[in-house]
Amino acid sequence: MFLDYDSIAEGDAVPALKKEPISQVQLVRYAGASGDFNPIHTVVEYAREAGLDGTIAHGMLTMGMLAQMISNWVGVKPVTRYGVSFKAMAKPGDVLTATGEVTKKYTVLNDKFADLSVRIADGNGEVKVEGKATLRF
Amino acid sequence: MPLDMSYKGKSFDAFTFEVERGKIRELCLAIGDKNQIFFDRDVARATGYKDTPAPLTFATVMNFWGYPEVWERMKEMGIDVQRLLHAKEEYEYHSQIYPGDILTGVVSVESMRDGAMGMVAFKTTYSRGDEKVLTAKMTIIIPPRKGGN
Repeated sequence: MFLDYDSIAEGDAVPALKKEPISQVQLVRYAGASGDFNPIHTVVEYAREAGLDGTIAHGMLTMGMLAQMISNWVGVKPVTRYGVSFKAMAKPGDVLTATGEVTKKYTVLNDKFADLSVRIADGNGEVKVEGKATLRF
Repeated sequence: MPLDMSYKGKSFDAFTFEVERGKIRELCLAIGDKNQIFFDRDVARATGYKDTPAPLTFATVMNFWGYPEVWERMKEMGIDVQRLLHAKEEYEYHSQIYPGDILTGVVSVESMRDGAMGMVAFKTTYSRGDEKVLTAKMTIIIPPRKGGN
């Protein structure tokens, strides 16, 4: 699907994305896929020794879920920037929902841009990751 | 152990990363992202891509599989890797990345702050030949050992 600059407006919502619950197996898969083998994500005993209740999701996994919402909407081609801050830890069992909106539309020389504000939160509304993306049309 | 501030501004040895179709697929499956542009070449072509493009967070695969030595570099810098927290991750996309691309990555230490709450920002630039394709910036913090959260 292609969106064009004229079909979006400041304040428009990005179609939200509700994810399946994070599972321990998903963290193992993500470790292998990404190459981030920090055992805090995969080995319960290690995570407990580190003072946590159990394993925590890779921050990059939650950033990837949030990115999924953006690329479901516009693909990857228009995205020129995407950056996030990690706010809270996500754990197995968490059901995360990604949301976002268009905050600004502008032109620089002949290029048209739109900025998005995006975030992903659990069922209690606790934001895990939040950030911004810039689209160029 | 304090951070070795002499690393500030330093670049590490360049590395090569070859983008494989299977790693794109594997990352998307792990995320649970079923967007067919990442899996099916025909769907990707029909929507304006040359091939199945790398998803937006593929740089994490390039960083960890391409330069696993980063953990050793961090230890050499005095970073307690068991306590580090990922604070920020920021990407700038200059060009689409596709299967078969052979990329050169260079990690540099963009900024460092020592003290109770240490902070280090690493910047990795990826190029395909002379063309810059992606810039990734990772900021980590090292919280104090006692009384922190």
